[in-house]
Amino acid sequence: QSVRHCVFASSFCPAHKLLFGNTIAVGGGVVVEDQPDVSAVLSAYNQQGDPTLYEEYYSGLKHFIECSLDCHRAELSQLFYPLFVHMYLELVYNQHESEAKSFFERFHGDQECYYQDDLRVLSSLTKKEHMKGNETMLDFRTSKFVLRISRDSYQLLKRHLQEKQNNQIWNIVQEHLYIDIFDGMPRSKQQIDAMVGSLAGEAKREANKAKVFFGLLKEPEFDVPLDDEDEEGENEEGKPKKKKPKKDSAGSKSKKQDPNAPPQNRIPLPELKDSDKLDKIMNVKEAARRVRLGPDCLPSICFYTFLNAYQGLTAVDITDDSSMIVGGFADSTVRVWSVTPKKLRSVKTAADLSLIDKESDDVLERIMDEKTASELKILYGHSGPVYGTSFSPDRNYLLSCSEDGTVRLWSLQTFTCLVGYKGHNYPVWDTQFSPYGYYFVSGGHDRVARLWATDHYQPLRIFAGHLADVTCTRFHPNSNYIATGSADRTVRLWDVLNGNCVRIFTGHKGPIHSLAFSPNGRFLATGATDGRVLLWDIGHGLMVGELKGHTDTIYALRFSRDGEILASGSMDNTVRLWDAVKAFEDLETDDFTTATGHINLPENSQDLLLGTYMTKSTPVVHLHFTRRNLLLAAGAYSSQ
Amino acid sequence: LNERLCFPEGYVTTILEDAKIYSSHAKKSSVDADDVRLAIQCRTDQSFTSPPPRDVRKTVLGIREPGSREGWEVTVSLQFLLDIARQKNQTPLPLIKPYSGPRLPPDRYCLTAPNYRLKSLQKKVSSSAGRITVPRLSVGAVSSRPSTPTLGTPSAQAVSVSAKVGTPVSLTGQRFTVQIPSSQATVKAATPTTPTVQNVLINPSLIGPKNILITTNMVSSQNTSGESNPLKRKHEDDDDYDNL
Repeated sequence: QSVRHCVFASSFCPAHKLLFGNTIAVGGGVVVEDQPDVSAVLSAYNQQGDPTLYEEYYSGLKHFIECSLDCHRAELSQLFYPLFVHMYLELVYNQHESEAKSFFERFHGDQECYYQDDLRVLSSLTKKEHMKGNETMLDFRTSKFVLRISRDSYQLLKRHLQEKQNNQIWNIVQEHLYIDIFDGMPRSKQQIDAMVGSLAGEAKREANKAKVFFGLLKEPEFDVPLDDEDEEGENEEGKPKKKKPKKDSAGSKSKKQDPNAPPQNRIPLPELKDSDKLDKIMNVKEAARRVRLGPDCLPSICFYTFLNAYQGLTAVDITDDSSMIVGGFADSTVRVWSVTPKKLRSVKTAADLSLIDKESDDVLERIMDEKTASELKILYGHSGPVYGTSFSPDRNYLLSCSEDGTVRLWSLQTFTCLVGYKGHNYPVWDTQFSPYGYYFVSGGHDRVARLWATDHYQPLRIFAGHLADVTCTRFHPNSNYIATGSADRTVRLWDVLNGNCVRIFTGHKGPIHSLAFSPNGRFLATGATDGRVLLWDIGHGLMVGELKGHTDTIYALRFSRDGEILASGSMDNTVRLWDAVKAFEDLETDDFTTATGHINLPENSQDLLLGTYMTKSTPVVHLHFTRRNLLLAAGAYSSQ
Repeated sequence: LNERLCFPEGYVTTILEDAKIYSSHAKKSSVDADDVRLAIQCRTDQSFTSPPPRDVRKTVLGIREPGSREGWEVTVSLQFLLDIARQKNQTPLPLIKPYSGPRLPPDRYCLTAPNYRLKSLQKKVSSSAGRITVPRLSVGAVSSRPSTPTLGTPSAQAVSVSAKVGTPVSLTGQRFTVQIPSSQATVKAATPTTPTVQNVLINPSLIGPKNILITTNMVSSQNTSGESNPLKRKHEDDDDYDNL
């Protein structure tokens, strides 16, 4: 047994760790450390360069880049940040403390302003022990930062670095960076600045090549019963077709399979129940009365302000039919309010239920216990702040996720907790029901997102790939894909069927806190702490828009029901409305045929901004368009 | 089972066990701080550089026996997460059985069982001061929240099944769940014997007088032995404690 442990202890320690003096610290005569092999020492030094010369290597490269041609300089300058961080982390990890400190002080001021938060974290990371518990840093160190550079710039760089005296830095570059070459014009600083910023660098072109079924699932056809209330007589016979425009802005009446839509049974979905059909009929009726929004017809905004929350409001959701609103709070409670005059009721007790007339028409009313009617229901159960809430589409269930590491399922008929889903052993930052119910997604501090089904106590899928916390999770309207935003500043799109990451979007400079799919499923809008809203074409895997205007974190994003308007809500106490139609139609399709992975983004934020609405010091935490396109907003009054 | 109770699994125990091994390897008489330090370091590095031990995999996957200790924190690398994800994502998504009632996990993974055990039939039934539980719903069957006033005296329907099946019983005259006489009840926490319509809609034709609402016998012995805490407050003087 003792022999086994000796072998165990030495074999897992990679060679280069041993040679930088990183033997297992033991006392008292336990002989576990290995004697480093001399040749192994030398070869490793060659690979990583001499740590005492890191400053020289870096400043040499810096000099070369600063002297290079203007057109290449912007692209080559992308090397500064990843090399700086990697070299610094190598010095810290291998316990060259003074070299690390000197290296940091000399070069940290050269870095781009959008990396300031990272640099602040790094400056406090001076010893190897500091790195030990920080999984993000450890993974950053062992993964390759992706840079996208034009072929011309790359040739220039390679030629220079492969000269004999620069071999060391070339080795370091090869060790820590992945250079994705594209054929085309070198990018300008402005173009680069729009798309860089994530901890992982940019996305390799091949990471965004997989086919994504971004189309919508076909809605079932059924007869919408004629209603006395309907005044538009001539629309009656057109009713079965009217529900298609609800989902598809083009109003397509075609019965052919959309090639971009997933097959209906690509993933198992729950069957449509009678109550669901009734709801859909209701939806269609409401859609008929929906206001068509546009630059000339902006929505009215109704703001729900949470008073006396004392900065404790951490999550909000509103049902699709806008009948209920839920708040998750830092005191671990979940509070549900009725938005309509109709109060919230619990179902009767078993004994009472046995007494009612089950044949009566209003049996659904009779099962509710009038004595429990109230406008507010408070749900207790979590043992930490509630960071995410989500109503089920059929309004029978409510999900909440919390700092206590669990996701809870609550019944909205009894207002009690039904299940606690455990798996994330760390705070869960966001959760959402699938648009068809049954499935839900959660994301947390453990850097993964999980797909669950309400009837499984373990997750069905684990989406791993982010380097840092998953802060935001959203289903695509067709429920086949899940978007996750992370503190590593990337947005990823995952396939529910097999768990594969099919898209990686970079460009944000801070953790992502809001995601919204357009109703037609083709586009994704993302908002982060950097105050920018970025727009992405899912099919092509490209950034297609950048909306500047907000001055603080964007916590809420929502497209109007037919996708004409994008509303954004922020910590800067404003709601902004953007012209989504214009944002997407201005794209030049020529650009998509290029394989470069980027298009020229027009500077059109001002043109697209339709309105800015200020609240009285109330950060906007949630946005919701009612079925008739009235915009509801929610936030907690903060008296600062 | 006894051993599990005496030697709880957990981070600290694993580290100490490792430390004991290192200590004995060094032929020391007792475990000292250095051994513990070595054990911690080995565990951390191991999780990061090579596939972690099985219990760490289970923790990250969320596999936990009901009633077991909460997961402990580990440093895991991205590579490890990718491995686990690959393993998990290989299983095809399960097919969804239609018309299977409220889709909830098996009862022992739910919070729907009563977490109390009534002492005996008293002259006046005291309410549960603890959490009100909910049986598996088919059609909104249920126990209401604490603030709902009780109906007063227990009705004549009060079923005292405790003698028969040895499980905690709920009195029908109260706000609690109806205990279906065992002959009718399905023991497995699976699909109900009678087809039910979802949640809100009650299909009147399917509801008979006895099996109106409860789909399963969620009060199974395996549940309650671990979870039910006979409330210590159930004394005689609590009989007047009607409402919460």
